Amino acid sequence: MAGILVKSYRFCIKSSLQLRSLSTRPLAVSLISKGNETLQNYCPQIKSGSLILTQRLTPQERSYSSKPPLSLKLITDRVLLVLKLYDKINPEKLSLTSHFINDLGLDSLDHVEVIMAMEDEFGFEIPDADAEKLLRPADIVRYVGDREDIYE
Amino acid sequence: MSGSLTGITTHTRKVQSLYKRALRMLENWYDRREVYRYHAVLMRQRFDQNRNIKDTRSAKELVAKGESELFENSHWHPRKFPESPGGVAYGREVQPPDWVLDHWDPLEKAQYPEYFARREQRKKEFVKMWEDKYGKSSTFTPH
Repeated sequence: MAGILVKSYRFCIKSSLQLRSLSTRPLAVSLISKGNETLQNYCPQIKSGSLILTQRLTPQERSYSSKPPLSLKLITDRVLLVLKLYDKINPEKLSLTSHFINDLGLDSLDHVEVIMAMEDEFGFEIPDADAEKLLRPADIVRYVGDREDIYE
Repeated sequence: MSGSLTGITTHTRKVQSLYKRALRMLENWYDRREVYRYHAVLMRQRFDQNRNIKDTRSAKELVAKGESELFENSHWHPRKFPESPGGVAYGREVQPPDWVLDHWDPLEKAQYPEYFARREQRKKEFVKMWEDKYGKSSTFTPH
């Protein structure tokens, strides 16, 4: 069985080599046209011959590495949303002034995870020396606001 | 920056720092979120197994072992936040120190008269507060 397979494989290679040496261009063209057909089969909304496939709906804007504007309310909402989605915190008990360890019953490693989630949410590193002081959601809001120069 | 500058940290802080760096190490190695979560849960379980150790010496040994394991498994190209040291935007925005404002040219200062008037007043208040707290500074100069 394997011998037959090898033989047929060799034959295929030989025949394709002959084809290539005889007529390279027509083969390529036929391959491209076949590819087009399959593309049209998969996505029928693409018309053949149209160069622009999708039209951009919104005009392209450069952000120059600026961030979306923040306000204290927006920071508060984002902090509370991250905390609500954390599975060890009961969202009904959660408020801005609830203590992570005393009120919400987290342990020190959970606190590390909360701080890491805040780092990922706001995109900057919180050093350990600062992290040990951030024991309430209000502290985190204040810290993020101070860092981003937001006071209102 | 991990740990305090004086080096005096409690054992809890050391474990917290180790846990955080271990999770970041896992995040560097496993870029798919669900795979990372799986390994993070396993790592949390390893920390939780040793949470009730009362013996200080063995606890310290465990932390040292964890540190060495973390070092052996550290990533060759760890991911950094843009503005932390080693990140792409580190030092992009330079915050000049406050005393630079005192060395402005008088013509430049004249463009913001209100601010600089208040600044001079605040400086006087600060000197007064300092002298109330620590006494008048001596006029003796060693040079």
